Amino acid sequence: MPEAEAIRLAQAGNAAAFERLYRLHNRRVYSLCLRMVGNTAEAEDLTQEAFLQLFRKIATFRGESAFSTWLHRLAVNVVLMRLRKKSATESSLDEMTEPDEESGGPRRDFGTPDLRLSGSIDRVNLQRAVDQLPPGYKAVFVLHDVQGYEHNEIAEIMDCSIGNSKSQLHKARMRLRELLHEELRDKAREDRRAAGNAGGED
Amino acid sequence: MATFTCRDFQDHFESSEDGPRSASPRSLRVQAHLRDCPSCRNFVEDLGTIRAAATQLAVSDPEPPERIWSSLRAQLQQEGIIHEAPAKQSWFHEFFGFGLPRPVLAGGYLAVLLAIAFGLSGPINSRINRQRWLDGTQSSLTPLSAQLTSAEQASLLSLPASESPVAASLHKNLEIVDNYISLCENSVREEPENELAREYLYEAYQEKADLLAQLNER
Repeated sequence: MPEAEAIRLAQAGNAAAFERLYRLHNRRVYSLCLRMVGNTAEAEDLTQEAFLQLFRKIATFRGESAFSTWLHRLAVNVVLMRLRKKSATESSLDEMTEPDEESGGPRRDFGTPDLRLSGSIDRVNLQRAVDQLPPGYKAVFVLHDVQGYEHNEIAEIMDCSIGNSKSQLHKARMRLRELLHEELRDKAREDRRAAGNAGGED
Repeated sequence: MATFTCRDFQDHFESSEDGPRSASPRSLRVQAHLRDCPSCRNFVEDLGTIRAAATQLAVSDPEPPERIWSSLRAQLQQEGIIHEAPAKQSWFHEFFGFGLPRPVLAGGYLAVLLAIAFGLSGPINSRINRQRWLDGTQSSLTPLSAQLTSAEQASLLSLPASESPVAASLHKNLEIVDNYISLCENSVREEPENELAREYLYEAYQEKADLLAQLNER
């Protein structure tokens, strides 16, 4: 059943059409939730909540935007709302970034030539760093770099400008780089300490 | 000409998103800076590494568990958002139910139940000794089948011509059960040790015996 037909039938309450729409999009929505919250139980809950909101409103869908964009917009909102509740603060997308104390922008770090990420990061430590990003950065990073959305689509999903999406993504990558460098430095320190201890025992 | 700093490089990088690629004069200065500045080269390389690792995250994403849909469907039904299609009927209903009006079926099923309840009097001893039969299926297969066939012929001969819908449905059901018995007998012949196949055949014989008893009752 093509998506357009499934939407039309779902608007009439057809159970099979709802299932078809769910099966078409569940993987990407679940993946988005999982990357945003880093916890499978919560990701399941959020996926269900996003689809529930979608299906409650499906009669109002008029096709002005792509169905998947509409769904992702709902999903991102559901996730951001949850994260806001967690941090118990009411904040906008911009406020959910991490401003630099001096300039109001993110900290600028051009890195040191002796510390490189190439060959040192894998999925696990990248996800660990992503988990530490502020929600706004995280959403744009997951949508663009993990899920492959374009900036114009992200702008629609996040209800922001294309420039804002680009800027958020850049800041997210910068913050990730910083976090990953910190992790590498910590690991190098631990290795040195372990080597020192081993030398002391000899 | 003002010095092109690392901050200028980063600003340019941010606005061009994928890094300095164009051939504009500004871009030439960007390229020159990149060539001469190890920090900015390291910066560009790191961002490339992060992007590559990010694509790997998507590849490793697990399948969403099926319980999400089950729970979602239940919630949608509860809220009256989806209208579930009628549940699929069992094989027994499919076998005995197609194409016949509900009152006729009800009459047929009631007749079967009554026949069983009254002990299946008449020439057919339809209550097969289940355990004895299951213990020796191979030796019992042919005699029992033959016994049922001869009982069927006797029942059909003794049955007055009737055009009633109930009689028609009983004949139809008898035909269906015969086909089912034939399939089950083949299974038992192919796999004589298969207890499940023997069990199905037993049930099929039982159904036929019940139907014949019902014919006799009429």
